[in-house]
Amino acid sequence: MWVFDLFYDVFEHFSDPKKRVFIGYVFISIGIAFLWLIVLKKLSVRQAFWKVFDKKVFFSRSSKSDYSVFLINRIFTLFISPLLITQMAIATVIFHLLHKIELFDINIFSNLSKIWIVLFFTIFIFILDDVTKYFVHRWMHKWPILWSLHKVHHSATKLTPLTIYRTHPLEGIVFSLRGAFTQGVSISIFVYLFGNSVDLMTVLGANIFIFTFNVAGSNLRHSHIGIRYWGWLEYVFISPAQHQLHHSIDEAHHDKNFGASLAIWDWLFGSLHHSTDVESLTLGLDGTEHDGSHSLRTLYITPLKEVIFHLLNNFKIAKKYIFKFGIYIQNKFFALVKQ
Amino acid sequence: MLSNKTKLRTVGILVASLSPLMIASVASGDSSNNYGPFPVTVKGYDGSATNSVSYSGQIARHVLHDSLKKLASTGDGGSNAAAVEAEMMAYFAGSDKNKTIVSPASKDDYQIKQTLMNSLSKGKKLSNKSYKGVINGWPGQMTGPEVLEFMIKKAAMSKGGFDPLTGYNYPQLISKFAMGAVFYNQAVDGYLDEKLAADNKPNGKPYKAGKHYTGKEHVWDEAYGYWGAAAHSLNLSAKQSYEVAKKKNFAISDANGDGVIDLKSEMTFAHAYYASSFDKGGKTNYLQTVSQAFLDGRKLITSANGENLTDAQRAQLVAYAGIIGENWERVIAESTFKYAGSVYKDISKMEKMLDAGEDVAKVFAKYCKHWGELKGFSMALQTGKGNLGETAVKLNRLIGFGPVLLNASQVTGIDSSGEYMKDEALSWGEYKLHMLKVQKLMIDKFSVVARSKDQTANMEALAEKLGGSDSAEND
Repeated sequence: MWVFDLFYDVFEHFSDPKKRVFIGYVFISIGIAFLWLIVLKKLSVRQAFWKVFDKKVFFSRSSKSDYSVFLINRIFTLFISPLLITQMAIATVIFHLLHKIELFDINIFSNLSKIWIVLFFTIFIFILDDVTKYFVHRWMHKWPILWSLHKVHHSATKLTPLTIYRTHPLEGIVFSLRGAFTQGVSISIFVYLFGNSVDLMTVLGANIFIFTFNVAGSNLRHSHIGIRYWGWLEYVFISPAQHQLHHSIDEAHHDKNFGASLAIWDWLFGSLHHSTDVESLTLGLDGTEHDGSHSLRTLYITPLKEVIFHLLNNFKIAKKYIFKFGIYIQNKFFALVKQ
Repeated sequence: MLSNKTKLRTVGILVASLSPLMIASVASGDSSNNYGPFPVTVKGYDGSATNSVSYSGQIARHVLHDSLKKLASTGDGGSNAAAVEAEMMAYFAGSDKNKTIVSPASKDDYQIKQTLMNSLSKGKKLSNKSYKGVINGWPGQMTGPEVLEFMIKKAAMSKGGFDPLTGYNYPQLISKFAMGAVFYNQAVDGYLDEKLAADNKPNGKPYKAGKHYTGKEHVWDEAYGYWGAAAHSLNLSAKQSYEVAKKKNFAISDANGDGVIDLKSEMTFAHAYYASSFDKGGKTNYLQTVSQAFLDGRKLITSANGENLTDAQRAQLVAYAGIIGENWERVIAESTFKYAGSVYKDISKMEKMLDAGEDVAKVFAKYCKHWGELKGFSMALQTGKGNLGETAVKLNRLIGFGPVLLNASQVTGIDSSGEYMKDEALSWGEYKLHMLKVQKLMIDKFSVVARSKDQTANMEALAEKLGGSDSAEND
């Protein structure tokens, strides 16, 4: 029964330590927020409490639409995800290909000690995952057709941990394919080169680095608690305030801080911006929160219309080039005939 | 959606929680689960028989097969070829003499009741019960019995059944192919197929005039005999059935406690043995599923009390036959899967040893043994009721006619004088890829579950550990 599957899926999001909104990580993030507000911002416990559990944030129109989208997307995921290519399908194809091209001998590094292999694999997959997230996120902003979809996420005017699920289903497909690709590549190449010693270092079943990232308050990235790091650290790790700045409507903040865990990709590719005081930021797309901006129609249908518009537009451009190419070939042909 | 693994896990927990009950039933020796005895139901029978179960002819063929396999490794490289061939042919194509049972034979305190073939059944042979279609997996466009006879001749000329020039291990090739071409084919393509029709061996008549079993009773029993499970197999765990076949657990084998093992009912043979080997891993339940379907079918026939089966009864019987056929086929597919994995591992091992300048003779022989099993099972898979079509073509092309040899050659055919022809083969890397594809084919087409020696198991475990790649959220 798909209803039970749906219920299980929702439950799993909060009970599985592989998920960002695992209840344990959420509690830890709340703890970090309290510490930040009481120790560094000198708020009283009472003030900190009302700051963390701010009604204006959690009962805003923006947040309410986050909750709806989270639940509706679970239904989409339930039916779409079985149709998507899996990491195993990609891993199998690459594994087969590696046998065919024989660029390296199989298990060439299998004599290395297991601890090194496991550490290497765990670091590799974390870094590959993070860098591909950076680029996919960057493309989401730079390519108009993808921005039509990603706008849904940026239309949030208040941020809560559930805003990560404010994602258009088509964008979800792109993210899934990225995940399948990263895992498929890592698994196949490592098993081919290192043999059966390949394993993942985990805590509570999650990659140890992902676990660390989540324990370090990853849920605060999408929140109103503007935790900032030391300047030098913000070159290496993206602070919550840096990500909140990514959601700012200020033009100076556009297309900055695409990174997920690591800031080094932003630093390397020129999109890094240090954090500012989050209280000074206005979040969203244009700073206005009109009636329609959080409606399900705006969140699900409008992006589709825009995608179709872009496709048709691109088709027109493509047609123009095909026509020009045809004329070029025709002229060449006549030139040859004349000779 | 709940993943198949989650579902499997749930089934596993259920099975595990029920296992104490199953063990309790074994301990109490619940004979209602035995395949026989069943009462005589033939109308008007006035003989003295009280048990209508009879499949000694099938057991005789299992024993002929076991003996043939043993004899296939008795050649000394040429000088005794004629004698070995004659001896093997006596077990394959029949003999006037009351031949000795070569295998299974008594050992130490493990005494077997029968020592001569005629004490099981007289005049039985394998040649007339072998699949008559063309065997595309073997060079020469021969029929089943022709392939087996060809292999017998070659085995007799080899030393210990192994020909290092071609990589053929004849005991394995003959055994694994014959199990399909005779037992599997006879059961699923004959007894459990056309012989279940209303007008073929009807239940309202004795199988033959004067016999104490009806047409359908005997048809069903003969199919059960070919399956190869001991009559008390439903009272045993998979591990125990495995030990019975391996002659490792006398107490559990000797169901009637008479101090000897009766091959007619107390031994696990052929595919029932392979089923137990996979089931003891805990992921599958082939032996119990097939044996239970046989038992349920037999009880159904007995309940008709010598009358013709109604359409509904026959439909139920056909449904049982379907369960048997599907799971039997899967056991052979699991075996093909397993040995493709073994061949892959052997090649990897040899590559490493060759790189290190080590002698690979022993590993090469093992590789050829595994290849023989792979080839035999893959050919057996094609002797069932239905035509496997493209799957068979792929399987035969992936495995080829022979193992890839150390000098990168491979048997590609047979010339007009019956000699093997060899040609340049694929690289070992590509051949290993073929083995991976064989394993994938078995998963895709036969939904194998046990997946012994799975060469991509580690990748699957890692994928599982990393969690679904379908996280559709922003960061």
